[in-house]
Formats: sequence, C-alpha cells, structure tokens
Amino acid sequence: MPVDLFGQALNGLAYGVLLFLLSVGLTLIFGMLDVINLAHGSFYMLGAYAGLSLIAATDNFWLALLAAPLAVGLIGALIERSCLRPLYRRPPLDQVLLTFGFIYLFEDLVKWIWGGRIRSIPPPDLFSGSVSLGGTIIPSYRLFVIVFGLVMAVLLYVLIERTRLGAVIRAGVFDAEMTAGMGINIHRVFTAVFAFGAALGGLSGVIAGPIQSAFPSMGVTILIPALIVVVVGGLGSLKGSLVGSLVIGQAETFGKAWLPDAAMLIIYVVMAGIVLIRPQGLFGRPLK
Amino acid sequence: MMDEVTRRKFIGTAGLAAASAAMGPWVRRAGAQSDPVKVGLVLPYSGVYAVLGESITQGMELVFARENWTVAGRKIEMIKEDDEMKPPVGVRKTEKLIDSDKVDILTGPVHSGILMGMRDKVHNSKTILIVSNAGADAISRERCSKWIFRTSFSNWQPCQPMGGWVAKHVSKDVFLTAPNYQAGKDMMNAFKETYVAAGGKVVAEDYPKLGETDYAPYLTKIRQSGAKAVFAFFSGTDAVNFVKQYDQFGLKQSIKLTGAGFLTEPDVLPAQGKAALGVITGHFYTPVLDNPTNQRFVKEFQAKFGGKMPDGFACQGYDTAEVIVRALKAVNGNTQDKEKLVDVIAKSEFDSPRGRFRFDPKTHNVIQPYVYIREVKEVAGGLNNVPIDKVANVADPGTGCTLPA
Amino acid sequence: MTGLRLAAFALVVVALALFPLGAGNYPVKLLQEILIMGIFAMSLDLLMGYAGMVSFGHSAFFGIGGYVAALALARNPGLVSALLLPALAAGLAALVIGFFSIRVGGVYFIMLTLAFSQMFFAYTFQVSWLGAEDGLVGIPRPRVPGWDLGSLRGFHAYLLVLLALAALVLWRVVRSPFGHVLRGIHENEARMEALGYPVDRYKLVAFVIAGVIAGVAGSLYTQFNGSITPDAFYWQTSGEALLMVIIGGTGTLGGAMLGAAAFILLQSLVSTYTERWMLILGATFILFVLFAPGGIVGALRGRIGLRA
Repeated sequence: MPVDLFGQALNGLAYGVLLFLLSVGLTLIFGMLDVINLAHGSFYMLGAYAGLSLIAATDNFWLALLAAPLAVGLIGALIERSCLRPLYRRPPLDQVLLTFGFIYLFEDLVKWIWGGRIRSIPPPDLFSGSVSLGGTIIPSYRLFVIVFGLVMAVLLYVLIERTRLGAVIRAGVFDAEMTAGMGINIHRVFTAVFAFGAALGGLSGVIAGPIQSAFPSMGVTILIPALIVVVVGGLGSLKGSLVGSLVIGQAETFGKAWLPDAAMLIIYVVMAGIVLIRPQGLFGRPLK
Repeated sequence: MMDEVTRRKFIGTAGLAAASAAMGPWVRRAGAQSDPVKVGLVLPYSGVYAVLGESITQGMELVFARENWTVAGRKIEMIKEDDEMKPPVGVRKTEKLIDSDKVDILTGPVHSGILMGMRDKVHNSKTILIVSNAGADAISRERCSKWIFRTSFSNWQPCQPMGGWVAKHVSKDVFLTAPNYQAGKDMMNAFKETYVAAGGKVVAEDYPKLGETDYAPYLTKIRQSGAKAVFAFFSGTDAVNFVKQYDQFGLKQSIKLTGAGFLTEPDVLPAQGKAALGVITGHFYTPVLDNPTNQRFVKEFQAKFGGKMPDGFACQGYDTAEVIVRALKAVNGNTQDKEKLVDVIAKSEFDSPRGRFRFDPKTHNVIQPYVYIREVKEVAGGLNNVPIDKVANVADPGTGCTLPA
Repeated sequence: MTGLRLAAFALVVVALALFPLGAGNYPVKLLQEILIMGIFAMSLDLLMGYAGMVSFGHSAFFGIGGYVAALALARNPGLVSALLLPALAAGLAALVIGFFSIRVGGVYFIMLTLAFSQMFFAYTFQVSWLGAEDGLVGIPRPRVPGWDLGSLRGFHAYLLVLLALAALVLWRVVRSPFGHVLRGIHENEARMEALGYPVDRYKLVAFVIAGVIAGVAGSLYTQFNGSITPDAFYWQTSGEALLMVIIGGTGTLGGAMLGAAAFILLQSLVSTYTERWMLILGATFILFVLFAPGGIVGALRGRIGLRA
C-alpha cells in the first residue's frame, strides 16, 4: 500500500501542535515555580468542558475559544494562591503531590457537573469540512489547528523574549530570589505565570475538543504525552516544548501508521532515550 | 462485547429503583421459600460504561415492575454491584453476591474480562448466571457451562452475517479495523468467515489501541489503501471519535463505512450526530423494529423512563428478566432445585422485542432470531438505526462446547 | 518505647489473625486486600519516607511480581513460583531501572521511573502471550504441604506470616546503620557525599529492596485474585500507593498500612453512600498535604506539620 507521507506528516503536525499548546503551559510552570503540575491535564479537560458549555449556550466557537481559557486561568490563579503558595517553603515533592490530588478532584467534579458520557464538541462552521491539499485530504479544522498553533508559538515567543513582562518571567525562571530582590513582587508573578500556564492548558482543551470530544478521563489520558514532551524538550524551555511536541507528534503518528503494534511503546522509548542520553532534554538547562 | 478496560477509578452507586444497599452482611441469610428471590447484577454503574449498565438494569426493571416485583408468591429483590469495568473488582463483587448475599440468580457483566474471571467461580459454586451483555465467544465455546446462559450475544453473532452481506451488497475490497484486543480480533475474524467465502478481499487490517482518541493516521491509511468500504468495530468513546473523525476526513462519500452494531448504538449515536448518517451496521435489535412486542416494549420503556429510547442493551436486560420470570413461574418459585431451574431456563421460549427468543441447547447462548442489517437514517424523533435487510436464525457455532444434553 | 511498640504490633497481628473468625467472607477479603496493598505501600515508604526518593513508577515492580507469579504458578504452583521467582524478577528489574534512574536524580528520576512502568504497561496491554488487556486469569494458589491456601483462613494466615516478615525486614533495614545513612541522604545529600558515602549506591540498594518487596506484594495480589491485568503497571497504581503513604504518614512504615486501609475502605464503603468518592479522596488528600503532611500517624503523634 502506498504511504501518504505528506498526509501523515500533516496529521503529525496537527497532533504535535496540540501537544505544544498543552505542554508549553506545563513547562512554563515548571520553569518558574519548579512545580510539575500533574493537574495540568485537568486544566486541559476543564477547558474542553467549559468550551462545550459555552458553545452550547452561545453557538459561538470563537467566543468559547476566548472565554474558556480565561475561566481556566482564573481557576489556576485560585489554586496557586490558596494551595500552592503555602507550600513553596516545603520540598517540591509536596507541591507535586498536591497537584496529584487535584487530578482526582477535578475528574469527579467534571463527572458530577457534566455526567460521565462522552460529549461531542462541534467545530466552527467555517472549518467543518475537509480540504484537498498536496495530494491528500485533511479536515479543514486540523489545518486551522496547525496554523493557530504555530501563530500562538510565535506570539508566545514574542511575549517571552521581547517584552518586559517576558523579561520578568525569564528572570523569575532563572533566579526567583534575585528577581524578588530587584523589587518585583515575585508572588504576583508566580500567580500570573501559573494562571497563564493553566489558561494555555485550557486553550488546548478547547482546540482539541472538536477532534477528540470531551470525556472525564481526557485529562489523565493526555497528561503522559504532555509530560514526555516537556522532558524531551527540556523543562522550562519554550523552544524545547515546541520542538519536543513536534518531534513526539511525528513519532507517534508515523508509529501508528507504520508500526501499529509498537504505537503505545514508542513515545516512552523516546523519552527514556532522551533522559538517559541527555537528561536535561533538548533545550533545557543543564542539571543542577 | 464491551471488553474495553477503563483504567480510572470510578465508583458510584446507581440510584435507580428499589435495590437494597449492597453492604456485605455480617450474618448469613437462610434461603427459605417465603424469602425474596435474589437476583444479583454485576454491572458498571460508574464510568463511561455506566450508560450500558443503566440500560440493561432498566430493561430488567421494566419486566419486574410489570410483575409487581412478585413472581409465584415470592418477591424479587435486585442486588446491584458496581464492577467498575475492572476484572479484579468484578470478580470480587461476584464472590460477594454468591458467598455473602447468596443470590439465586446472577446476571451481568458488561466486560468480557470480568465474565471470564467469574466463570470458574460461577461454575464451581453451581450458581446460575445469565449473561446480560459480555460477548466473549469462549463462554459459548470451550468455556461453556451448564449453569451459564447468555441472553445478549456472542461477539461472533453480529459480525459473521455481515461478511457475506457486505461482499454482496457493498464491496469486495474492504479495510478492517477494530481496537487491538481480543474482542476486536474475534469480531473481525467472524466477519472474514463469510466475507472471504463470498469472494471478498481483505485489502488491509489495522488495530488501533483501545482508547485511541486520534484516528488520523489510520484514516489517512484507509484513504490510501484503495479499499471501497470499511468494516469496523468500535464501542463507547472510541466509536464516537472514530465515526466523527471518519466523517471529518471526508471518507464517507467515497469509502462506505460498515460495522458491528455497537458502532452506532444509541449510547453513542447522539454524540456522533450527522457524522453517523449512512453508516451500515449489523445488530440483533433496533428500536424501530415493527413487531408488536417491540412496539409495546418501546412505548412502555419510554413511558417508564422519561422518554428515553431503548437500545440493544435494554432489550438484553428485558430478555434476561423475562427468562427469570418465566422460569420462576414454571418451577412455582422453587429456587432450591437448581437442576430443575436450569432445565426450565434452557427451554425458555417467548416473544422478545428482537423476535422469537430461544436458547441454543448446545451452548446456552441465545439464537438470534435475526441479525438486522441497519442503516443510520434521520427518522421522526431523530437519528436511528433503520433495518434495511436481515439474516435469520444466527446461532453461535459453539466449537468446543460439550454441554450435557 | 520499643517494648511498647512491639507489644502494640503483636496485638495488631493477633487482632488481624482472629478477624476471619467473626467476620463474613467479604469483609475478610477486604482486609486481605488492605494487607497486600499495605505491603506495597510500605515498600514505597522505604523509598520516599526514608531515602527521600519519589518514584512514580513503583508499580513496575508490583506488576512484574504479579505477572511472574502468574506465569510461574500456572506451570508449577509452589512457593518458589509464588514468592522466590517474583521477588528475584522484581529485584533484577529494580537493579536495572534503578541504575539508570538514580544517576539522573531529581525530577528526571520521577520521569524516568514513570516511563519505565508505562513501558511495561504498554507492552503487557498489547501482547497476547501475556493475555493482552485481559491479563492472565485462572491462576492457582501455591500448594504448600499441610496448608490449604485455597481456603479463606488458610490464605489469611499465609498473608499474615508474609506481612509480618515484610514488616520485620523493613523495620530492621530502617533501624540499621544502612537505614541511618539513608535518612542522612534524605536530609542532606550533599553533606553525606562530602562525608564520603557512595550516595548513589546506597540509593540503589534501597531501590532494590523496595522493588523486591513491591514484587512480593504484586505476586500476593495475583494469588489473591487468581489473575493479574496490565492495570497493575499503570501509573495510577503507583499514584494510589503514593496516596496511601502520604495519608498514612511518610517515614513511618505503619502509616503506609494505615493509609492503605483508609484508601481501600474509603473506596469500598464510602461509595455505597455517595457517588462522589473520588472527589472526597482528592479533597482529603489535598487537605492532608496542606495541613497534615505527617499523615494519620503524624496527627496521632500530635506532631501535625512535622515529618516523623
């Protein structure tokens, strides 16, 4: 059977971009707060469900795309302020464990409010068909996801590298104490970064919704690939998150297409390989 | 049939109807004749598959309520246990129902892994089990038992007739796909039996992982393969995502999508919406069947459960309860003589919403009066599976089953 | 203090032993599940509470023990298959996985141990010789001359003996000079290194001991259920053990058992009254992390907020 290389590459790109949107929040949170936010998958899930309800209420995908991440960001801010901040003096393990508890909480909360059934999220009318491109056929929504994701990557880059806010964040990532010593309210920055990361997670959930629908265990399912991307790319690195997710996206897609029996194993092998050979990931800071 | 393993911890209680709370009693109960007849249900009441557990339970309740929960002078008591779709939990709950609650008749489960796990316990304790869903072929084959009956289906049954039919009416170049686990492979093999015999060619086969959310790589392969049709088995969340993405990739127009009935059953059809239009599947039931028993069943079901449309699972529950009620009447409520009860159950015959219901004496599996070939169409009340053809008297081959005559 | 502790321990063991005499089958089975998961959690506590190593992949050894036991018992139902082989297999795996993971340390240790256990999950879920997603079923209990492990009480006694052994082993390890070094590493790794201790080697030994005991717990799980599924390897199994250790109290060993009891009882009993079991568990866990990091034991000792 002839292989549709271009088609599969596009599939991998769409999936990779989705992973990027999810993992960039995770890596930022780690970079700044040294916290592996295991509840990040929950933010993804909350975003998708918030999107579901908003679309059902307003019939407007774009509105949901804007509002749902804001809602999730707010939840993130609340969590950081009330539960995480008291734990900063404690070993980082405690913070990781806290976020682990939130996984259970959020999953059940979602089931309580929206029920346990899988819920379908319609793509916007503008992108509900399929297009022919370069000899292959791809749903127009996935093309939108690719473009959207790459644009977001550029915007994030500009934000982090070229603005004053970004400079503050980068400084905080590099050395939080020094930054606080410079007179910047580091606590507020922490909250903002966590909320921002959460919002990005929620955004990726809304974007993913029309492709894979919404179900209560979706956060748990996507968490492992997101963690793997972050490890491969390098904890705390935006560039690493982008490269890592594109690589993992292609690896998983072509794995499914060519080695279906090994599909599940491939990303773990990649991750194990990276951690063994270059533990800080492709672009992470060298190990302390 | 529903063999997918949910890996999350979901616990819940069904809050339906009059069921006694399932706390393991610390004192053993005596089983006197004036005591209620205890019917145990091992089903998922939490998680994604709770919808199936509910439907099956509702089908049973419809029958018991009609009898006013009393048969042959004895009350009927349903004891529900949530198996969470996990074999260790399901087996443990089964043991509880048999050892602690001392149920007279056991029913369930949804998950074939749980069924296989409970099989020996049921057989060795001589407990009558009426399988109300799980489709593992083995239970009607080498692992059959005279104490085990099945009112639902074997995985083989909805698929085998589809093979010949698809070859004749759709295409002889078919791409097969199902999740990568035993039930998926069994269903595809059953399809191949009659498909290849009718001159069909299997263009390619793909088995994505269970719980896959993104089928894009497989759909692109399907498009490239040159196949003119697809025969697929997916259920639950997988079915929703597969059918939706199949439609999103624009494949429906050029490559006909066919499959096992679970691909478009009412538990997933609402979420699939228009993406499921035109999909052809094989199943022993659809709510639009026009026989009088079904018409009454649908009306009563909707009246009792707030307009909810019954599905194949509800029919399975209904038939399970019918078997129990009729058997109890035939033995005058005597549940102590188990051999007699088994005999009577084996001879069950009645009008079911799916047609004339009988067990195959060779395997204790139901003989499907019909396997309907259905197409998803827009009808009054929304989308539904409309029969366009049928194959009569589909009985599982029962290879390797040696039940005493 | 030690005499009192020993007496309390003996009392608990006696109470556990007498339990089947008064209770019905189902509660006894619940207790047995608690004991098995308790052993698993205790082994994790050795790693977390004493050596300070957070592993999200501890289920790897639980699963290996479980599967090896299943494969071995199906062919040769004896104690070698039931205990020795799973322990050896788990120990070997711990040696390999530990060797690679400990070198990287920190958050990467967490990631790598997680990756390994997930790889096992993916593999066992896939391959048919291990039963794929249904796992291995119909596993007989080991045949020991003069002891009917198939009966509820026989198995109960067997479990208690093994629990006592595991607890004893861990207790001795923790009290030994080796255990003291481990705790030193937990408190200040740099200092221990400066003092000349081969820190990584100590950690590896701890990792292997924990792995072996987790493997035994896994094999007991197989013997208890008569089956094993890929779920044993899934990261949520590791996560649950983590929850048990935290709720019970890290660094206390006994706490892990209490945590196992709390978790399983919560799961089985609370679910009868409310569907929102997961919500309650998550909230409870969060509250413990925030306000009672010493867990139940810490709270009992009146030292809320301090590690044991």
